[in-house]
Amino acid sequence: MNWTLLSPELFFLTAALVFLGISMSGRPDPERDYITAVVLGAVGLGICLACVPLRGDLFLGAYRVDLFSQTFKTLLAMGFFLIVCICNDLTGVAERHHPEFYLLLTASTLALMLLVSCVHLLPLYVALELSSYSLYVLVYLRVDLRQGIRAGLTYFLIGAAASAVMIFGLALLYGAAQSAYLADLMTALPGMLHQPMVAIGVLLALAGFFFKLAVFPFHFWAPDVYQGAPHQAAAYIATVSKVAAVAVLIRVAALTGGAGSFLTDALVALAIVSMTVGNLSALVQKDFKRLMAYSSIAQAGYVLIGILSMSSAGYGGAIFYALALLVMKVTCFLVLVAAAGGGRNMEIAGLAGLHRRSPILALALMMAVFSLAGIPPTIGFTGKFLVFKAAIAQGHVSLVLIAMINVVISLYFYLMVVRAAYLTEPQGPQPALLAPPLTRGLAYFLVALTVLAGIYPTPLIAWADAAARGLM
Amino acid sequence: MAPMAYARFPFLSLLLLCCIGGLLAILCTPAAQTRRIKWISAVFSGLCLVLSAGLFIAYDQSAGGLQFVEKFPWVPSLGITWFNAADGFNLPMLLLTGIVFFTAVLTMWELETRVKEFFALTFLLVTGVFGLFMSLDLFFIFVWYDVSLFPMYLLIAVWGSTRKEYGAMKLTLYLLAGSALILPAILYLVVQAGLSTFDLTALMQPGTFTPYQEKFAFLLLYLGFGILAGVWPFHTWSPVGHVAAPTGVSMIHAGVLMKIGAFGVLRVGIFLCPAGWQHWAPLMALLATIGIVYGALVGLRQTDLKYVIGYSSVSHMGIVGLGLATVTVDGLNGAVFQMFAHGVMTALFFSAVGYIYDRTHTKAVAELGGLSRTMPVAAAFFIVAALTGIGVPCLASFWAELMVFIAAFRVYPLYGSLAVGALVVSALFILRVVQRTCYGPPNQRLTHLPDIPPLLGVPRVILVSVIVFFGLFPAFMVNMIQTATVAFFNGLP
Repeated sequence: MNWTLLSPELFFLTAALVFLGISMSGRPDPERDYITAVVLGAVGLGICLACVPLRGDLFLGAYRVDLFSQTFKTLLAMGFFLIVCICNDLTGVAERHHPEFYLLLTASTLALMLLVSCVHLLPLYVALELSSYSLYVLVYLRVDLRQGIRAGLTYFLIGAAASAVMIFGLALLYGAAQSAYLADLMTALPGMLHQPMVAIGVLLALAGFFFKLAVFPFHFWAPDVYQGAPHQAAAYIATVSKVAAVAVLIRVAALTGGAGSFLTDALVALAIVSMTVGNLSALVQKDFKRLMAYSSIAQAGYVLIGILSMSSAGYGGAIFYALALLVMKVTCFLVLVAAAGGGRNMEIAGLAGLHRRSPILALALMMAVFSLAGIPPTIGFTGKFLVFKAAIAQGHVSLVLIAMINVVISLYFYLMVVRAAYLTEPQGPQPALLAPPLTRGLAYFLVALTVLAGIYPTPLIAWADAAARGLM
Repeated sequence: MAPMAYARFPFLSLLLLCCIGGLLAILCTPAAQTRRIKWISAVFSGLCLVLSAGLFIAYDQSAGGLQFVEKFPWVPSLGITWFNAADGFNLPMLLLTGIVFFTAVLTMWELETRVKEFFALTFLLVTGVFGLFMSLDLFFIFVWYDVSLFPMYLLIAVWGSTRKEYGAMKLTLYLLAGSALILPAILYLVVQAGLSTFDLTALMQPGTFTPYQEKFAFLLLYLGFGILAGVWPFHTWSPVGHVAAPTGVSMIHAGVLMKIGAFGVLRVGIFLCPAGWQHWAPLMALLATIGIVYGALVGLRQTDLKYVIGYSSVSHMGIVGLGLATVTVDGLNGAVFQMFAHGVMTALFFSAVGYIYDRTHTKAVAELGGLSRTMPVAAAFFIVAALTGIGVPCLASFWAELMVFIAAFRVYPLYGSLAVGALVVSALFILRVVQRTCYGPPNQRLTHLPDIPPLLGVPRVILVSVIVFFGLFPAFMVNMIQTATVAFFNGLP
């Protein structure tokens, strides 16, 4: 067996063990934990990038290393690195729990990396649960226990329900196709989609990932969890875990080979309801993290448009959109961590005067929300453009029109964020906000990436397309 | 330099580079050095004006067609190209943008608050405008459309006046609702063509689309771009936005941005869907005529100077729409000329009113009076703008409106006479506004105010001379536009 194929996973396993060791030392030292995490995250990202060209099958063909999986591992490692970078102000978690926090973060990333490579239903389920259980605990770690427990319990209960639904769907698929290998399912399913058992099986199997992605009707947890979890944990749930969900949704959707109008119709309905519910609820939010949560629900709807197109262009668009989500959401949370301070929650009105307190953070926030709204030239626009084009190529013109109307609705609350940061003046003097150099550097980097991927996305699109074509 | 090499130099990209260079230079200057920022803005916007005027003159009218072509693959897998070119349609618009941009920067010379951000956003906006006018790739047309819109929110909400946040939000939501119709229409056309290209010239070959596809897409494009062109009943953002915006932004906005809408209908809608154009022309004519009459009549009731101009813009943009709706060479010539003439005229209007407002702190017609005695120069600029607005001969608008009305009388006699009637009414009213603000007994509170100093007079003088020049020599403009319109009509199936 060729162990180099597993290098990213092995590295993150080692990193998890390192934090396990640190957590047993018993002496709290946030500085040491933070630096260790940043260094390990950077090395992990480097290893994933180096492993992109690897190809191979492992464990009796249940585990596949291909461009698709390696692309997503790179995205996951990048997300992990960015999230640990904004852990410089991890005051939302008690100091003695910092090593455990990083341990769970690393373990969850490891599980998601396994997830995107699994091509057999059983390890797929196990990997999903491993990542979920790390996250359930991560949400509890909030210093303010009342908030943490409420969020953790919501997340756990809805997550467990979604898992139960999902494994039922997987069982139906296994029963229909007599195999748990995705490759076998791919040949068997397209001819059987007219059977209710198979169509419902696929839909239920997708449910577990709808939960991760916060697609209607599995979205109820998002606002409470975002609000109650430590900022960094919420950021992780909003970005890294969604990237993995997109990956597996694409893998499962690709199983059907594009056939099955019942399935497509169901996904169209879910996409429309998700976008609309998310955007309309976001209109009335006051808390920044709740706003982010509802905006995530709407964004999940846009991603679904790429997936339901069931074409390689649509999958490529969804992959690009996953990257876009990662960049945009991390930027928002970076600004939140720096502007709120002390790990407290922040109202949108709390952004008042940000343009004076820290011009670069205000600029980063503005670019991020314009990107979330899909205004060119930003990475978010390119993502929307790709998924919409794929959808229209499959004849979903009215779906795209509805999505664009949603974009206009969403613009209102995104503009309210810009208004808070640029127009309103704070009550009382607000000191200049001197973010640490790493945060500032990261903000410049994210703004540059947002704009560059909007102006010249060619290499990224080519990469995403190549990864998607490998699936078909 | 040999003529060929001269023609191959990417002048159009250089024009964009001037805007982006200006933007970067402003961003790199410390916010406290406001004088330096203003000079940087003036120099770079001046360069833009020189380049756009140079392109207008250097265009070879006898050869016609697309010139200064730049074409590079951008996203080959999707068929997106960096494709810019100049023709008789966009050269007047580029020139207009150059003029209005430079004069708007000079008009804002006295700005004190958040100078750096203001000029940076203005440069970003104008980059989008220039890009849209010169691009022949549908993807870039859409991108530039949005780039030119989203700085507006901050420009109005931060530096504006009357109900600025409401006006800014309304404007942004309306205009992006327009883009919500444009993007699906563009994607629909590109997918239906099956050519896997966003190249406008490739897609406009006859027979690419079925009549049904053209009708469907044209309606979306007309409504989407029409919102920005102030087509009735989607015009309500425009007076509110104009009134709320600071002077320089009102100038760019009414002078250039609304033209993007009309230009988009022409460049994307009419170019790609001629059958849809002919099918929907009666509807366009009806909405345009309602806009002309409605704008003129509502303008009658306004007591705020900026609202008067705002509604006159709705009315004048209706004339552009009527010209486009005639489906004739004359109508198209007149429409494009009117876009140019109205842009310069309305920029002068806002510029003159802006100065009066900065000094007197009022825009109410009733509170002004005798301005021709207290500020003779400012009043003179205002009067020239008013005369242009009502279409006095020897000023640019006269020729444009004349061409549109001649064409309209032939095709839609009823609409044509209604529109002319409405203009006569509005002329009477505008003259009454002029009389009540510039003549009559001066308001004693305002007599001590200074007149326009020479530096601030420069932008207004430029605008007046452009109006007079093209009023005396309309052939310079009409010949240019004709190189494109005649060729376009000959190419129709």
